[in-house]
Amino acid sequence: MFRSKRMAALVAAVALGLTGCSAAGDASQEQSSATLTLGTLLAPKTFAADQSEFANLSPFYQAVYDTLIRMKPDGTLVPMLAKEWKYNADKTVLTLSLRDDVKFTDGTPFDADAAKQNLDRFKAGTSPDAQFLAALATAKAVDATTLELTLSAPDPAFLNYLSKDASFMQSPASFAAPDIATKPVGSGPYVLDTAATVTGTSYSYKRNPEYWDKGLVHYDNLVLNVYGDQTSLLNAIKSGQLNAANTIDNNTLTEIEAAGYKVNPLQLNWSGLLLFDRAGTTNPALKDVRVRQALNYAFDTKAMLESIGQGHGELTTQVFPTSSDAYDQSLDARYSYDPAKAKALLAEAGYASGLTLKLPSSTLLGNTIPALITQQLKDVGITAEFTDTGNNFIADLLAPKYGVSYMILEQQSDWQLINMKLAPNAPWNPYKYEDPKADELINAIHVGSADEQKTAAKELNKYIVEQAWFAPWYRPQSSFVTDAKTNVEVQTGNAYPFIWSFTPAS
Amino acid sequence: MYQFVLRRLLSGVLLLFVITTVAYLLLYAGGGDIARRIVGPTASEAQVTLKAAQLGLDRPLLVQYWDWLTSAVTGDLGRSWFNGQLVTTGVTSRVSVTISLVLGATIIAAAVSVVIAVWAAVRRGWVDRVVQSVGVLGHAIPGFLIALGLVSLFALNLKWFKATGYIPITTSFGGWASTVTLPIIALSIGCVASVVQQVRGSLIDALRQDYVRTLRARGLSFNRVVYKHVLRNAGGPALAVLAVQFIGLLGGAVIVEQIFALPGLGQITVAATGQGDIPVVMGVVVATAAIVVAVNLIIDLAQGWLNPKVRLS
Repeated sequence: MFRSKRMAALVAAVALGLTGCSAAGDASQEQSSATLTLGTLLAPKTFAADQSEFANLSPFYQAVYDTLIRMKPDGTLVPMLAKEWKYNADKTVLTLSLRDDVKFTDGTPFDADAAKQNLDRFKAGTSPDAQFLAALATAKAVDATTLELTLSAPDPAFLNYLSKDASFMQSPASFAAPDIATKPVGSGPYVLDTAATVTGTSYSYKRNPEYWDKGLVHYDNLVLNVYGDQTSLLNAIKSGQLNAANTIDNNTLTEIEAAGYKVNPLQLNWSGLLLFDRAGTTNPALKDVRVRQALNYAFDTKAMLESIGQGHGELTTQVFPTSSDAYDQSLDARYSYDPAKAKALLAEAGYASGLTLKLPSSTLLGNTIPALITQQLKDVGITAEFTDTGNNFIADLLAPKYGVSYMILEQQSDWQLINMKLAPNAPWNPYKYEDPKADELINAIHVGSADEQKTAAKELNKYIVEQAWFAPWYRPQSSFVTDAKTNVEVQTGNAYPFIWSFTPAS
Repeated sequence: MYQFVLRRLLSGVLLLFVITTVAYLLLYAGGGDIARRIVGPTASEAQVTLKAAQLGLDRPLLVQYWDWLTSAVTGDLGRSWFNGQLVTTGVTSRVSVTISLVLGATIIAAAVSVVIAVWAAVRRGWVDRVVQSVGVLGHAIPGFLIALGLVSLFALNLKWFKATGYIPITTSFGGWASTVTLPIIALSIGCVASVVQQVRGSLIDALRQDYVRTLRARGLSFNRVVYKHVLRNAGGPALAVLAVQFIGLLGGAVIVEQIFALPGLGQITVAATGQGDIPVVMGVVVATAAIVVAVNLIIDLAQGWLNPKVRLS
């Protein structure tokens, strides 16, 4: 009897487990139309708006924090908390007219003073994007719905920045809250459900019932799952646990498509060599434009795209993205693979007998890329010497310790890109290289009219391609995958689609 | 007995103190420019200085350590540098996941191992040889490969279990079972292989003892002799092996939790060590050291219960 009782209990437990198992499965099916479950690769460091980040982390913050301006998937700027905005003649004073019907989830009303405080805090805070507001001299709340921003100098990307983390609006009443890192208080479309959230792993949000723009909220619940491991992300996708996710690379796209997902391609980056040391500080050869051009001719970029990027991407020799005013399609073929021409240019520059280049490597790059670079450079008579930088790869590049390096870099909008890679004080111009012609064009983009900006941007792009400031190979395809129940519009210039760009397919 | 427990507890506390002190000094001394890593390579020096001050890293190491220690004894292990969560909240919410995996794997391993070991030790011959060969195989195949195979077959193809994620037992027992079964099996296979060898050896030794013959001569059934007497005698060494396995499984859980995206100690450890989130790493060190001390205490008590001679010594 005793034995059979135990057996009965065991059978009951197993049965309970199995029925519970199927019940849980059904429940998740039923919820799927109301719940959007997204896979992400990174978790936010904090929810404090003044320390927030963007790119891959944008969905975590956009769910809870509104911005002053909203960027549509194609990059155009439309009103959000700011209904309209206007620059003065010399583009140093920006006046924004704000909504008066928005409340933070703690009941605090949103007004110009709250906006001012948030912008001041972000500028002084420790967000990696704090420099977005570098041009902001003063923010002034003229009245409850009028915000006046005075810039120390015109900033063509300023409105763009106000659609990103720089203008995440957090309730001022929560600025000093000790738990703000894990309990955000914003006015966004969702509210973080802290009880159902496992910080660092899975973030659950519920619809903000009092959200001011119902048209932007397409789901009752939002779940953002973080996958630190590529295998677990792939398994979650293949088993249908995610409505959408971004992928680490393109190696698994076939498997993902076979599991019934749609691949939404986007181009964010360019891949190739950075030729930092254009003044020849560390290696005199790099000062000669012919040597830099030879480096552009030396690589079989088509083969590189096939072997490193699995053929997903487009060949290019320019660093500006296709969406940019500076983009010139003809420049994509400016340097075709031509080792003989590379050798001839090197010989002209006085390096017929060869040349040695020092490059950094890292386990992050794997072994393939340094091997391919070494081989292709060897074919034109250049010896590549790689040094393992360990975890200091980026720090060493920016230090600057190397004149040349392989890298994948983001293709931002024009002014951002200029300030990231081209301007004399740009972080990715670590040797602070200056060129009078480039500086003149950069200045025209800085202060010129819209038409002048466009013309100057095109000219600048052509100039730096001719001067071979870089040796780009291709624009790799990034992929965002969605299941059959989910539609998405990928975002120009951002790794993750914006949170309101997801809609149920039915 | 109380004195025995008290003595073990005190030595456990001392051990915890030594481990955490050494870990703290090693981690902080080798922490490098953590403020720079948090704010990113393009941040200004002023931002780096501000971040370092926010984290209290601008103070002398011993002052930082003293603050940490005095807070730690009150249960406050600080906040994560990378996600702002209280370390105690982060660690305790994850301990239950890891413990349920490791405990589940240990219990399954113990039960399965005893059955297989008794079978092999009593039957000997080809059964024993097969068990030994399979045991070697169980040892040889890495846990993560077993985990990947299990996911592929039972989660992706048959869809019996969830491929990733964790559902707390308080939310749904079935959901919990569907998320932990495969990880537990993946973890327990290597453990079974080890414990079977140990128990089998102890059983074979015990079966050769005189008292077995005596008991059999008194008319006790073979099964009764094996399950009531021989197993109890062989239990001591087996428990010691299980304890070692349990502690070893805490390490094995790191990879399995990554593969199944389970929010356990393993996942937090990988993330925190990768980022250099030292308060969290320290929290994990404290939790793991406490678990190891507790397991050793429990095993000592269990061995005392199994074998009164241990209590006397």
